[in-house]
Amino acid sequence: MENLREKIEKLLLKVKSPSRYIGGELNSVVKDKSKVDVRFAFCFPDAYDVGMSHIGMKILYSLKNARENWWCERVFAPWTDFEELMRENHIPLYGLESLDPIKDFDFIGFTVQYELCYTNILNMLDLAGLNVLAAERNENDPVVIAGGPCVCNPEPLCDFIDLFVIGEGEEVNIELMELYEEMKKSGEYTKKAFLLRAAGIKGIYVPSLYNVSYLEDGRIEKVVPVCDGVPEKVTKRIIKDLDKVFYPESFVVPFSEIVHDRAVVEVLRGCIRGCRFCQAGFIYRPFREKSTGTIVNEAKALCESTGYEELSLASLSTSDHSDIEEMLTEMTGYTEGERVNLALPSMRIDRFNKNLMEQLSKVRKSGLTFAPEAGTQRLRDVINKNIDEEEIMSACRTAFEGGYAGVKLYFMMGLPTETDEDIMGIADLAKRIADLYFNMKNRPRGQKLSISISCATFVPKPFTPFQFEPQISIDEINRRQKLLLDSTKGKRYINVSYHNFRISILEAALAKGDRRLGAVIKRAWERGCKFDGWDEMYRYDQWVNAFADTETDIDFYSHRAMEYDEVAPWDHLDYMIDKSFFVRENKKAKEGKVTKSCREACSGCGVNKASGRECFG
Amino acid sequence: MDKKNIRVFFEKKDRAIYISHLDLLRTMQRALKRSGLPVWYSEGFNPRIYLNFPLALSLGTEGVREPMDMAIVEDVSFEEITEGLNSACPEGIRIVSAAYPVHPNKDIGFAEYETLFSGNTEALKAAVSGYISRESIKVMKHSKKKGMIEVDIKPHVNILSVSECENGIKVTLRLPAGNELNLNCAVFTESFLEYCNSCEVVAELCCAKRTNILCADGTSFE
Repeated sequence: MENLREKIEKLLLKVKSPSRYIGGELNSVVKDKSKVDVRFAFCFPDAYDVGMSHIGMKILYSLKNARENWWCERVFAPWTDFEELMRENHIPLYGLESLDPIKDFDFIGFTVQYELCYTNILNMLDLAGLNVLAAERNENDPVVIAGGPCVCNPEPLCDFIDLFVIGEGEEVNIELMELYEEMKKSGEYTKKAFLLRAAGIKGIYVPSLYNVSYLEDGRIEKVVPVCDGVPEKVTKRIIKDLDKVFYPESFVVPFSEIVHDRAVVEVLRGCIRGCRFCQAGFIYRPFREKSTGTIVNEAKALCESTGYEELSLASLSTSDHSDIEEMLTEMTGYTEGERVNLALPSMRIDRFNKNLMEQLSKVRKSGLTFAPEAGTQRLRDVINKNIDEEEIMSACRTAFEGGYAGVKLYFMMGLPTETDEDIMGIADLAKRIADLYFNMKNRPRGQKLSISISCATFVPKPFTPFQFEPQISIDEINRRQKLLLDSTKGKRYINVSYHNFRISILEAALAKGDRRLGAVIKRAWERGCKFDGWDEMYRYDQWVNAFADTETDIDFYSHRAMEYDEVAPWDHLDYMIDKSFFVRENKKAKEGKVTKSCREACSGCGVNKASGRECFG
Repeated sequence: MDKKNIRVFFEKKDRAIYISHLDLLRTMQRALKRSGLPVWYSEGFNPRIYLNFPLALSLGTEGVREPMDMAIVEDVSFEEITEGLNSACPEGIRIVSAAYPVHPNKDIGFAEYETLFSGNTEALKAAVSGYISRESIKVMKHSKKKGMIEVDIKPHVNILSVSECENGIKVTLRLPAGNELNLNCAVFTESFLEYCNSCEVVAELCCAKRTNILCADGTSFE
């Protein structure tokens, strides 16, 4: 029989960017499979270029491979050209390290970073030669697991996944694989027995062990465990001491260019801000930092092992690190000498100053992006962005004085309580920034001013104060987008771009969905939906058909306001934040009242009690 | 020390043949960075490790002795450069030698290739004779100005040898290369396979390998 590698190689020259499909990248881990006890296929349900940019995958890949008798491999969704050839030539989905079919692995694990990759999960299971439905898979098929931010509401995926990992993965993944290895060795392993025992591990949610009942109006009545030994609520896992947690010393370095093609050090987890629309700001609490020394050492090790010419200090809000100035000084001391470009992707407007900017532009000057999120102070207070206009202006002034002639501004449209005034406020803000620029004597010469406005549609997400909020209708989004375009007309220095709002509506439904959406996702996939996050691939019409085929009302999920006391599909998962806090914050939002950052005053979200550690001090 | 130009020759095979030309540039820059060699950076707004490939190698073709130009700013021996880079190169790429460049890039005139086709040996041998003894060998070529145009490559295809090998034949040939006229090896392999197809000879390309790069006068490009 022709081996799989030969079959693959015969097709590679027919597809775009073939180096994505054959492995062999620097630092990829290859083991002798006769000496391996547990094989794990780490799947990122999107293209290689996107998946290879993901830091969580790099952490868990290295962590699992640190065990001599475990082998973790990378798997991505093949782009459509290669998928077609794989299906034609009967090539099953394989791991990039061994080029073996993942159907024969022990675990298939998906990291679920955004809702729009759900159909890719089904497609990858199918390409692997497995039934997409967990209940239909065999005893000998791999255990299919999933983790990542989206599994804070895993309900729409329950039909397809055997178990979910809730919260941070570094410890619980190891415990899960150890349990598996132990049960295999002792002969106790059956999939059913394993799932039952796994459900006893803190942070593991086995959906088949819970029953969901519904009220007559379609809302959820209750979610209850089917047997003893299964917790009523599954609490997320967190790493208590971030400074000591495992971090890889090397990354797999791809040949082809990927989205974030650089070394990345995670500098902190959680966020002190509490922006009311932001899911990451709540589900990753509590706020924890790495020390400057650890960050610098990890950065050096990574740059040396990869040869990357760019280093990124990543987190939800890097400028909120308590030691940011000292850290940047030490870091640039190293990066300048090595001619490595330093990138700080998440900078807050109110923390941006001359010193920060100079550190950033020392080696190479990249663009500046700020996120005011809303056009008026009233609305910024509603969403608790805690930034005022003077801070925005001051940041722009600093940037212009520093030689930047362009800024990129992120906004959201369709936020709760938003009026036309708020939309026009976006245009007014851009115009005032332009006035500031034109009135500056020391503005950069020889460059044209450019203000880019990037406008996303608000998507209500679980575990946020806005989880109760409906999304506005398609017609209304359409009208507001036109309004913004009209208000920026004639200003050639303003450039407005949008996200496709038809994608945002699906995103809302999937984010807030329950188990009944499993049938819709399956139907959409059967109708050919995949890569839904890619504008050119998104098939809104097919999703509409899938909802119709399954007699499911998308508006029930995306456009309906939820009651405070309603049982949400995700209420049996505990992300260490009290629901009463979200209710309180939602009410404050409606009153336009802000909540201070965690560093200034504890807002009482409950995470310190649940995690058994004080957030500060 | 002032910067000194260095020309290394490397081989590119196995899975590395799927690295595109643009990606190879990044791959080599990173390898040089990891190697810690005292390389010269380009000046200007975005300083980068200086690298230049005198002749691009197309995706899917193996290279036996591919030149790459770089520069160093401290005294290091050719052995140190070779070893340093080899310790940092990914699978499939290996530095064969390093030296000061002898010829400027514009001297490049030809490249030699070795191609393996699988199928019936006798039928394939006959096909090569038939292919090359035609009056002209027309292929469609993309032209920047005129779009797709038909050109005759017969005057440029110089078949050096045809021999039997396991499961088929090995054809070695010389094609024009460089700035003036450059003929990709794939133009030959594709037109040959098309010809085989037209006379119902079953053939499959197994491997295409660039074995050497020559100056216009026929001497090896050094």
